[in-house]
Amino acid sequence: MAKARPREDSQPLTPPVFHILMALADGERHGYGIMHDVARQTAGALQLGPGTLYGCLKRMLAARLVEESDERPDPALDDERRRYYRITPLGDRAVRAEARRLADAVSAAIAKRLLDTRKPTIAGGKA
Amino acid sequence: MSGLNRMYSLLLHVYPRDFRREYGPHMRQLFRDRCRDLSHTSGWRAALRFASHIAGDLASSAVRERASALWSAARQPGRRGFISEWAATIIMYLFAATTVVQAYVVPTGSMEGTIRIGDHLLVDRVGYAHPGPVGRHILPYREIRRGDLIVFRYPEDIRQTYVKRVIGLAGDRIRLENKQVIRNGSRLVEPYTQHVSPYTEPYRDNFPLAPDAYTTPLGRDMLAHHVENGELVVPADSLFVLGDNRDNSADSRYWGFVPRRNVIGKPLLVYWSYDAPTEDLKDWNFGHVLDVAEHFFTRTRWDRTLLVPRSEPAQELP
Repeated sequence: MAKARPREDSQPLTPPVFHILMALADGERHGYGIMHDVARQTAGALQLGPGTLYGCLKRMLAARLVEESDERPDPALDDERRRYYRITPLGDRAVRAEARRLADAVSAAIAKRLLDTRKPTIAGGKA
Repeated sequence: MSGLNRMYSLLLHVYPRDFRREYGPHMRQLFRDRCRDLSHTSGWRAALRFASHIAGDLASSAVRERASALWSAARQPGRRGFISEWAATIIMYLFAATTVVQAYVVPTGSMEGTIRIGDHLLVDRVGYAHPGPVGRHILPYREIRRGDLIVFRYPEDIRQTYVKRVIGLAGDRIRLENKQVIRNGSRLVEPYTQHVSPYTEPYRDNFPLAPDAYTTPLGRDMLAHHVENGELVVPADSLFVLGDNRDNSADSRYWGFVPRRNVIGKPLLVYWSYDAPTEDLKDWNFGHVLDVAEHFFTRTRWDRTLLVPRSEPAQELP
């Protein structure tokens, strides 16, 4: 039997939390940057509103999955100062565990033939 | 743009104070960023989608943050925060429940054809509520027009709430001739009405005449003071309303005008329509609870669920 993993690693994450952690996996971002990256990850399916985003960040800070970096302006946007967030080692473990869990779930779904694994074809084209 | 930002700042008050202090400035910043994105993609559809997205985000996350504030306040007894968090939440709930929308059930058939017995309505209380000189620019207020459906306090007994259609505004001259409404000399074509009786009754269908047995004191007062040359003239700050089930409706013909201040709002949505007799809908009784439990799926009129009752202006023929 595998050794029991720490609780925070094995707990499933909610979709917003998972995507926010993924957005921070490759570097610090501010709220707007997180929102953009999450929208890109999910092809626009998950649009985080201000309340949802900062509510999640508040809970993630409390759970020590992320931490505040500093406040500085984003040269690509404007001169406003923005608060940046970065992922913690714990957050990194949690997002990896969640990705693993999802991958396992996807493998199981493929084994049960619940998921079409053929390459998508152009709509209307012959397969 | 700055107006939108100000409005968003105001809306942030739905969040608990601590959350607002900590994240309010960042949320405003994000909101501004989103607005700027939106200004690059023109089109009212995108704007509408954005507005509904922001509203949904506010509502769902505010409920969540309030619940979590209550939860953490409850774990620290004796703190002042406990009482103020609960008070703020209760006040906000009461505000939403009594000011913005309110639910009603329609137990009688005077609007049958448009609104049926057993329709459960959500009523928008903001749309027709006069918001004053400042509020009218930010609230979705509009004047009442002819053909609008309105929900109002029954003038003879303000504890009762009625729903009818507006036929005459202040200054309009109204009469009925063989069941047809003639307004300011034009005959109205009213596709939303239904007539259930093939017979013509003098007072009901050729109006105004001398009061009949059903005319109430306010109705008699109307006939005594507001009839000129065989036509009813609607006085200032008053509305003349009729039921769409025209032959079977106790309306302005019988009990007079609706004072403007009696108007509560407009029907927004039928959220549930259940086929039940009038007396069960008027007084909630145990038999009705059993009836609903037993026949919920068969007696719910599914085709009326989420129906929007329409305001319809009548066509005027010369």
